[in-house]
Amino acid sequence: MESIIELNNVSKVFKNKKAVDGISFSIDKGEIVAILGPNGAGKTTTMMMMLGLLDPSEGSIQLFNNKPKERFVRERIGAMLQEVSVIDALKVKEVIQLFRSYYPRTLSFEELVDITGFTQDELKRRANKLSGGQKRRLGFALAMAGDPDVLFFDEPTVGLDVTSRKLFWNNVEMLKQRGKTIIFTTHYLQEADDVAERVILFHEGKIIGDGTPKDIKNKLTKQTVSFDATTMIRYEELLKLPCVNNMYEKDGRMYLVTEQTDDVLRALITKNLQVKNIEIDRGRLEDAFEQLMEKREVV
Amino acid sequence: MQCKIEVLRILRNPYYVFWSLFMPIVFYVVFTRIFNSALEDQQEWQAHYLMSMSAFSVMGSAIMTLGIRLVEERTQGWSMFMRITPLSDTAYFFAKMVGQTVIHTFSIVVIFTAGALINGVSLTAFEWLMCGLWLLFGSLPFLAIGTLVGTMKRVDTASGISNMFYMVLALLGGMWMPLEIMPDFVQTIGKWLPSYHFGSGAWSIVRGNTPDWTNFILLIGYLVLFVLLSGYIRRKQEVAV
Repeated sequence: MESIIELNNVSKVFKNKKAVDGISFSIDKGEIVAILGPNGAGKTTTMMMMLGLLDPSEGSIQLFNNKPKERFVRERIGAMLQEVSVIDALKVKEVIQLFRSYYPRTLSFEELVDITGFTQDELKRRANKLSGGQKRRLGFALAMAGDPDVLFFDEPTVGLDVTSRKLFWNNVEMLKQRGKTIIFTTHYLQEADDVAERVILFHEGKIIGDGTPKDIKNKLTKQTVSFDATTMIRYEELLKLPCVNNMYEKDGRMYLVTEQTDDVLRALITKNLQVKNIEIDRGRLEDAFEQLMEKREVV
Repeated sequence: MQCKIEVLRILRNPYYVFWSLFMPIVFYVVFTRIFNSALEDQQEWQAHYLMSMSAFSVMGSAIMTLGIRLVEERTQGWSMFMRITPLSDTAYFFAKMVGQTVIHTFSIVVIFTAGALINGVSLTAFEWLMCGLWLLFGSLPFLAIGTLVGTMKRVDTASGISNMFYMVLALLGGMWMPLEIMPDFVQTIGKWLPSYHFGSGAWSIVRGNTPDWTNFILLIGYLVLFVLLSGYIRRKQEVAV
C-alpha cells in the first residue's frame, strides 16, 4: 500500500505543556482512520499539524512526501475544522464558487450543492445566517470543493442532530467508496467503531493503541477471572500465572485482569489452587472507555 | 475571483456604507452649504473641502474596514481555514489590497460626483483625475495602518482603537476644518501626521499646484514604518503560537 501520510516522532509543546508527545504513525491511501481519545488528548493538535496549521516542536510530518504547507499538498486535501467559521456578507452559493476557484481540479457546483442538500432558497441566503447544522453542511461542501484525495474532519459530528449526523456519515461512506482517504477525530467510541477501519487511540498526547476497532476494543476492555479463595493465596503467586496482567481484591473476591481468560482459567485448574465460584467477566467496553475519559476530566 | 469577493463583502457592510459614503457627504453638505458664510473664496473652499471628505472616506475604509475585518477573520478562524486552501497568503493579502483599492476608487467617484452635484464644484478633467490618483496613492500608508489594526486580538479593541485613531487623524490632519484655524500646537502636531499630508496633496491639486515633495516623503515614510511594524508584530505572533 502507498503511504500518503507519515508522522515521525512528532511532539508539540504549548507553553510548557506537552500536548503531543512523540507520536509516529503512517496512513495508507484509502484508509478510513479514526483518531479517538478524550478531550485534551492531543487529537486536534495532531490534526492541525497534519494540516500544516501548527508546526511540530519536534519530529517531521509528510503528506504525499511533501511538507504539509506545500501547495502540492493543499491542492489534494480538504478539511472541516471544529469551529466552522463562515465568511461574512457572502451568499452560500458565492462561498461555494469562491472555494471552487482555489483549486485546479474541482467538483462541479451542482455536485457540491448535492452534498450540502441545500435548497435553491438556502443557496441564496447569507452564509453567516445559516444554522449550526447548515454551516456544517456548507463546511463539508467546502472541504470537498477541490475534489481532495485526503479529507480531514475534526470532531465532525459535535453539535449535530441525529439526521445531520446520519447524512454526514452517509456522505463519508460515499467518499470511502470513491477511494478517498479519510481521517477524523472523535471522542465517541461508537462512531469510530461504526465508520473507521482503523482506530488510533490517543491519551495524554500519546498513542496508546493503533489497530482495527476490534483490536482497540479488546485492548480497552478489561476481562477478568474472579474467584473466592478458600485458603490464603499469595499475590505474587497469582501474578506469576500466565497471561495475568494485574490483580485486585474486592469484597473478599480476587480479580485477575487478563486478555486471555481461557489460559488463566486453565492455569488456575492445573495448578490446583484452592479457589471456588470462578467467574469470567468479559468487561463492558463502554465502561472501560468512560473510565479512560473520566480519568482525564479529573486531571 | 478573490478580489471580486472582497469588494462584494465591503459593499455589503453597512458600516462601510455609513462611514465611508454617507458621513463624508453629510459633512460635506453641512460644512459647505450651511456654515459657508465667512469665507472669501467659496469655489476654492468647496473644492478643498470635497478633497478633505474624500480623503476622510478613503482613510476610514482603509483603517477600519480592513483592520476590523482582518481581526474578525482571525478570531472566527476564517483565516486559518484559508490557510488549508491552495490560495497563498500573499495572494490573499493582495486580493484584499486590490479589493480595498477598488472600493476606494468607488468611494472617490461617489463623493466627487456628490460634490459636483451639490455644489457644482468644477475642476478640469486632469485635476479630477490627479486628485483621484493622489488619494489612491495616499491611501497606502492607511492600508498599512489597517493591517496593523488587523494584528489586534479582539474585535472590540480593534474597532475602538481604530475609531479613535481615525478621528484623531482626521481632526488633527485638518480634514474637518482647515489646520490654519486650529491652535498653534495642534498645527505643529498636525503637520507631522500622515492625514495632513494625505489631504494636503489633494488640496494643492485643486489650487492648481502639485503636491509638495514633503507630502510624498512623509506618506512614503509612514507607509514603510507601518508595513515594517505590522510585519514585525505578525512574525512575533506567529512565533508565540
